[in-house]
Amino acid sequence: MTRFTHSRFLAPAVVAVAGSVLAGAVAMGHSWGDAIITEIVTLLLGICYFVLTRSDSDLGAIYGRRADERQRQVLLRASRMAFVVMISAAFLCAVITVALGDNYWQADLIGSLGGVGYLFGMMSFGAHEDDAVGIERGVMAGRSTSSQESDTF
Amino acid sequence: MGLSQVELAVELGVSRQTIIAIEGGKYSPSLPLAFRIARFFDVPVDKMFDPEKEEER
Repeated sequence: MTRFTHSRFLAPAVVAVAGSVLAGAVAMGHSWGDAIITEIVTLLLGICYFVLTRSDSDLGAIYGRRADERQRQVLLRASRMAFVVMISAAFLCAVITVALGDNYWQADLIGSLGGVGYLFGMMSFGAHEDDAVGIERGVMAGRSTSSQESDTF
Repeated sequence: MGLSQVELAVELGVSRQTIIAIEGGKYSPSLPLAFRIARFFDVPVDKMFDPEKEEER
C-alpha cells in the first residue's frame, strides 16, 4: 500500500527549511559550529521524515499526504491535542514569568496567536446560514428543513 | 469471500489500518465509504452498519 509520489517530499522539505532557518539564526546569535550541528540534526530529521512517509502506518500516510478519511480524523484529533498542550504550556509559561517578574510577552504572543487562529478557524470552517444550497441542489434535495424555529411540535 | 484486508483496502480506496478499525468497531465510516462498502459486498447499508447495534457492543 505504499506509493511514491512527489508529495512524500513535502514533510521532509518543511523540516529542512525550518531547520535551516533555525540554523541561520544560530549562526547569527551563537556560533558557526552550533549552526553546523543544527543543520546536521535537521538533515537527519529530514531523512527520518522521508523514511517515515514510506511506512505502512497512519503516521506514514499522514506525512506522505495520502491519508484517508479516518487518518485525516486522526490528524485532526492530534492537532487539537497539540493545540491544547501548546496553549496550556504558553499559559503556564506566562504565569511563571509574571510571578518571577520577567518578560512574558513571548508566552503572551503564542497564546494570543493560538487564540486568534482558533477563532479564525471557527469562522472559516463552521457552518453559516448563507451556506444553505437550497432544496434543489443539496444532498437532502427535496427533503427541505427550515432554519426557523417552530412553536408547535 | 477469501479477501485480504489489503485487497479490500485497495478496492475501497482506503488504508489497511482503516479496514482494521472498521472491522474492530473502532471507527464508523463516513456515509460515502459506508455505501461503497455495502455496494462492494452487495448488502444493504442498513444491514451492514446498524448504529444501535454498534452502541450495544
